[in-house]
Amino acid sequence: MLHNIALIPHLVRMYVRTRMEYRGAMFLAWLSQGFSYGAMYATIALIIARFDNLGGWQWPDMALLLAFHLLAYSLGACLSFTQFRDIEEKVRLGTFDAVLVKPVGPWTFLVFSGINIGYGGHVILATGLMAWSLTQVGIAWSPLLVLYFIAALISAAMLTAALMTMIGTTALVWVRSRHLFSIFFGFWELARYPLNIFPAPLQMLMITLAPLAFMAFVPVAVILGKPVPLLGAWAPLASLAAGPLCMLLAVFHWRWCLRNYQGAGG
Amino acid sequence: MRAGAYPAFALTAFQSRLAYRNQVWASAFGELVISFAFIAIWTAAFAGQVVVDGATLPEMITYVMIAGLLYWNTDRLINDVGEAVRTGDITIFLLKPLSYPASLLATHFGHYVFDQLVVTLPVLLIVGFSVGLLPPASLFHALMALPFWALSWLMLFTLGTLCGLLAFWLLTAFALEWFLKGIMALASGAIVPLWFMPGWLSGILGYLPFAWVSYYPTAIYLGKLDPPAAFLYFGIGLAWLAALGGFLAWLWSRARHRLIVQGG
Amino acid sequence: MAAIISADGVGKTFRQLKRQSGLAGGLRSLFSRTYTEIRAVSGITFAIEPGEAVGYLGPNGAGKSTMIKMMTGILTPSAGALSVLGREPHANRMRNAREIGVVFGQRSQLWWDLPVRDSFALNRHIYDIPAARFADNLAFLTEMLDMGAYLDRPVRQLSLGQRMRAEIALALLHDPKIIFLDEPTIGLDVVAKDAVRKFLARVNRERGTTIILTTHDLVDIEEICPRLIMVDDGKLLFDGELTRLRADLGSRRRLTLEFATDPGPLPLATATLNRDEGAAKHYLLEDEAISLIDVLNEVGRGHGLKDVKLEEPDIEEVIRTFYQNKSRLAGASS
Repeated sequence: MLHNIALIPHLVRMYVRTRMEYRGAMFLAWLSQGFSYGAMYATIALIIARFDNLGGWQWPDMALLLAFHLLAYSLGACLSFTQFRDIEEKVRLGTFDAVLVKPVGPWTFLVFSGINIGYGGHVILATGLMAWSLTQVGIAWSPLLVLYFIAALISAAMLTAALMTMIGTTALVWVRSRHLFSIFFGFWELARYPLNIFPAPLQMLMITLAPLAFMAFVPVAVILGKPVPLLGAWAPLASLAAGPLCMLLAVFHWRWCLRNYQGAGG
Repeated sequence: MRAGAYPAFALTAFQSRLAYRNQVWASAFGELVISFAFIAIWTAAFAGQVVVDGATLPEMITYVMIAGLLYWNTDRLINDVGEAVRTGDITIFLLKPLSYPASLLATHFGHYVFDQLVVTLPVLLIVGFSVGLLPPASLFHALMALPFWALSWLMLFTLGTLCGLLAFWLLTAFALEWFLKGIMALASGAIVPLWFMPGWLSGILGYLPFAWVSYYPTAIYLGKLDPPAAFLYFGIGLAWLAALGGFLAWLWSRARHRLIVQGG
Repeated sequence: MAAIISADGVGKTFRQLKRQSGLAGGLRSLFSRTYTEIRAVSGITFAIEPGEAVGYLGPNGAGKSTMIKMMTGILTPSAGALSVLGREPHANRMRNAREIGVVFGQRSQLWWDLPVRDSFALNRHIYDIPAARFADNLAFLTEMLDMGAYLDRPVRQLSLGQRMRAEIALALLHDPKIIFLDEPTIGLDVVAKDAVRKFLARVNRERGTTIILTTHDLVDIEEICPRLIMVDDGKLLFDGELTRLRADLGSRRRLTLEFATDPGPLPLATATLNRDEGAAKHYLLEDEAISLIDVLNEVGRGHGLKDVKLEEPDIEEVIRTFYQNKSRLAGASS
């Protein structure tokens, strides 16, 4: 365990150096993705500009929701998305096997030797938008609320990482997993908007089977003092627990899949 | 190579997608979820109002579906072109007795037909039966929507291929995919129709080629443009397609020159 | 001495998706799927002592890679018992990983964009190699494998031969007790193959590292491994020395004699005539003990011999001969 932790800085350093070999492309990617998300947010801003609010959420509220969503997603995804989406290919090519014959925890090696620093654009946009929106919404800040904000953000990032880890890990047993990411991103899109505008069955789904409501809506609604459908007073606790719980699930899932790994045949 | 041989590319592309059946189900599901999301968004936005800027909620729901159908994902196209040009594989195409642009068009037309027929159509049917979609505003508009649809795809194809070619100089297709996605989100009208935008913005965007991908065809379908306007805007759209096509042809010749003379 | 690797009736079965062809098949596959069962390995039994160098030989699809994956702990056997370093490999994967080295012929474990040296440095941390031991090993391996010229070059700039040498060095840096190599000479040019073979033989001799090598090139076996295990279709066909295999099977070398003009019929005692094409005559050398010199001595001068070509039987030929002999022996005994 300690051995794995000690390896992390070495793995990260190696990988960041390989990325810096192509830093032009990396910075361009940051810019393009930041631009793309910005354009999408501008579109949503246009809707609210014309219609005043969306389910009772005005633009500053919406901006905070979008920023929180993007930041939590980026923090969680940099430790999971590309690493686990590509397990499918690593299995096919046999490079996953090469990870298994080393005396390193496969999860540690996989995550940190491929830590995705491509979310620079996302993080810059998200923090900028978050900073602006926090000045616009009237929040009665207290030390407890600040603590909650940070903890909820971490929990949301953990949730993201756990879900994406679980989806990618199925590639160890089912060989194909990319399509599951399409489903994930469908719900991820929903997670950007106030939950109360959706019909009740969908709200239920977003809190249980596809718990992406906890990625942004629930924590931000709690902070803004807005009503949370279905959860009500349980919202703060639920949002803090969601991340660690999913993380636990992901750990068991990973262990189980590893034990049942068959390889690509041969 | 005979012109009659190119449809084979389209058929091969279509068939190749069938092998990924899980991806088909998942994509259809993803599209369904997002469709319902936007229907919910507009329902919440309207919040009981009947007409806003000349549009009703049922019209907006239909707008979501039609504009969404036209908002085809260009990632595969841009990536194909980008990779082929960047790795120099494109020279293999230049060695064969076929026209690369024509085979590219045929191949991605195959992908387009697949996406619409196998992924989008079921979603349309589900939404149509559950929430309800409006039929075309009139016979004229129904007929006029067809050439606009063709124009929409050709415009999108041209824009996508342009981005893919730019990857040759910028050394990255990835960033270009995202730039196009960003521009399209705002300017194509795929999400917000131009009539909801502030005047100055819709004034600009209404004349940019992106609007012909989603906004104009959908606006025609819903009868928001009268016949003279429909013909006028079709003409402008054609002009844009010709201009972009010309630019694409020029860019393609520069890329080919670089590849053949300098070896990429 | 206890065997360092012991396999007892080991088997492995996979489930594979059946792909449908054509448009109709493609559409059908949208709604249903069928699986086939593949027995990659069945009933393999052997014991390997520490310090041995063993070749695992067989045609493509014989189950060689699967066996390596089981021995390195990547896969669990579906049947039988397997023990490596006295432990069950899959259950003790992490512990065994410290004491083994693995080289995959077609998959690189080096970091593509970074200098070779950096991949070695990372391995030092992964395997917790003490700094002094690491420095010694690196110096030794660099010299023996002649890597000094390209240690600081990015892996993507190396030729396949250079890369393979670096891969082998990578696997030996931590002084493993066993090194597994999966088709290490595939795709290499003659010079590189020779370097790799000589080096592996030396490591085995001087450091007592147990070597398990899969290949379908008999020359790999000849140069590196005194003992060979031959498999086909997942089953073990032969376990012993290569010379015994050749002697047992009488596997035949092909000899072609090319003359300036047709010397007429030329029967020989040392070789059997297979095909007579006039100026070119094709013989088979059945006897392992007979050398090319013996044949040429028998042919002598005066026939206008222009050129000679001697071909070793390839693995498929060896196996084919094996089966022919098996059925012949079976027929004789019944």
